[in-house]
Amino acid sequence: MTTPDSQQSLQDEIADLERRLQDAKARLNAVDSPTTSLQTTSDVALHALLLLADSALPLGSFAFSSGLESYLAHHKPSPPSASQLPSFHVFLRLSLSTLASTALPYVLAGYRNPADIETLDNDFDASTPCTVARRASIAQGRALLTVWERSYKSQYSSTATEISGDDSSPTQGSAAAEALISFSSALRKSDLINAHLAPLWGLVTCVLDVPLRDAAYLFLFSHARTVVSAAVRASVMGPYQAQAELASTELQDRIRGLIEEGWNRKVEDAGQSVPVMDLWVGRHEKLYSRIFNS
Amino acid sequence: MSFSSPFAASTAKAGHGSIKLSILPPDTPVLRDVSYQYPLKLVAPDPLPPSEDKSNGHAPRLVHTVFLLTYGGGIVAGDAIDLSVSLEDRTRLVLLTQGSTKIFKTPDPSLVSRQHMEVTLAAGAALVYLPDPVQPFAQTAFSQSQIYHIDGEKSSLCACDWVTSGRSARGENWDIHEYKSRNEVWASDKSGKKRLLLRDNLILDKHGRTGMQLAERMDGYSVFGTLILRGPAFSSLAQYFMVEFEALPRIGGRDWGDSAPLELLPHEQRRVQRQIREKRDGLVWSAANVRGFVLVKFASREVEGSRNFLRDMIANEGSVATSFGERALLCLK
Repeated sequence: MTTPDSQQSLQDEIADLERRLQDAKARLNAVDSPTTSLQTTSDVALHALLLLADSALPLGSFAFSSGLESYLAHHKPSPPSASQLPSFHVFLRLSLSTLASTALPYVLAGYRNPADIETLDNDFDASTPCTVARRASIAQGRALLTVWERSYKSQYSSTATEISGDDSSPTQGSAAAEALISFSSALRKSDLINAHLAPLWGLVTCVLDVPLRDAAYLFLFSHARTVVSAAVRASVMGPYQAQAELASTELQDRIRGLIEEGWNRKVEDAGQSVPVMDLWVGRHEKLYSRIFNS
Repeated sequence: MSFSSPFAASTAKAGHGSIKLSILPPDTPVLRDVSYQYPLKLVAPDPLPPSEDKSNGHAPRLVHTVFLLTYGGGIVAGDAIDLSVSLEDRTRLVLLTQGSTKIFKTPDPSLVSRQHMEVTLAAGAALVYLPDPVQPFAQTAFSQSQIYHIDGEKSSLCACDWVTSGRSARGENWDIHEYKSRNEVWASDKSGKKRLLLRDNLILDKHGRTGMQLAERMDGYSVFGTLILRGPAFSSLAQYFMVEFEALPRIGGRDWGDSAPLELLPHEQRRVQRQIREKRDGLVWSAANVRGFVLVKFASREVEGSRNFLRDMIANEGSVATSFGERALLCLK
């Protein structure tokens, strides 16, 4: 049971490493021939990464605090004037840890096995026991699907066929594009499909030809950015400090470490590593006053 | 997993066990098979008739109870328990323990003790699984899984899974190497294709890059638990949890003293008393209605807080005691 999976992940890793090697070679050759096709490939990936990393990407993430607001309500500082910053740091760590143990395996699987997207979506839904978290994940997943449909689809599904046109076998990207197109049309017909963010993030980044490791990194980083920006709006910190948090090597090391830890974790083994997180997020509905949806 | 004779202890493997509940025509539920191997032990006291109205055509004549025990009162490093349970249509089973399931110290963190339970519920069957909590001592590694296979909307399940921080009297506070608990509910469609309905997977280990001890990650709570409710036998209990969750006071709200009604109805009095106790016990909980389940999550500072909460809720609502007998709540006393 484990062999095909670990083989798969090894193959992915090899593909990733090969891509990086080619990328590095391309950069070495860049002085001589600045317009090699390999150079273009890495530019394509970078461009897609920039698109997805844009804070103007309309996923509606600003509406969610991922439990921060509820957490702060459960941890009132005493005296009330005391800083909530230490509290916030604990929360950010726990929140990233939870996301890496519950959602990251689905990002990786969505990227590696585009054809499984419907099963991944169902299983992720079955594994998200909390209404509030579920709502947030589905809202952002559907928003990502809408962005794909309205903004990326025409561009990227044609590029995918172009590239595969040279090859006799379809590339991973074009298979992923097909899976994405059929998933989004199935979404309209079936009420069993939810469109959760994590597996779709994997699938969309695959279609956009972003390297898997970068896709995973951006997934965790975007979450950190959402939580940090929620902290700014909850008056825990100012905007400059927020940028300092995001720039910190601590955060970089943490994200890198979490990807390392989770790289070979199967979706069946995704689970909650911080059980109290489910309570904080689940009890968000019980807050007297709220500025966020989660 | 087929058993030729219903009488022989036909499982030879250590730690294996089997419980089969069938209907002896026309309508008498019987334990067709209760077999087990060391270190697992199953004890089945005489079945009792449920106290609910006999005119209710769905009520079986008898409700069976089985206690899951282990020799020595706990699970020693390297033990593996593997129990399969199968319930036919119109049968009801109560699965209980006698005291918390203790997990004993392992000499090597990689030596993980395991407990696996596979339950098949026919349409119309109902299971109450309300055990005492699992109590992993310091320096233990334990992994358990409870996998339920149900048949459509008519299978009923009430399963609780809770874990404590260890022997608090000895100062143990989540000083474990590893603790994992997985609850899954699966259904099959007409073509036999399996579909995951629910996965509740708790993973406590050194991973997560939090830079924090496990105890710190648990935010001062000593008990965490999940209660899974599904099916017609528990729809009223499930509804009760949702209503009571709605009725919880708002977090951060203030009592201005102008909203208290003069006279409370009996159920409102019970609610107020329970909420006062929850506050005193440091108990927090949430309930969610998802995918045909009601899923209750709870945590408390001490074991008794969670025990009080579960007992108050299940006893106040009352349908479990009526349909399965008072014995179903034995582990919550």
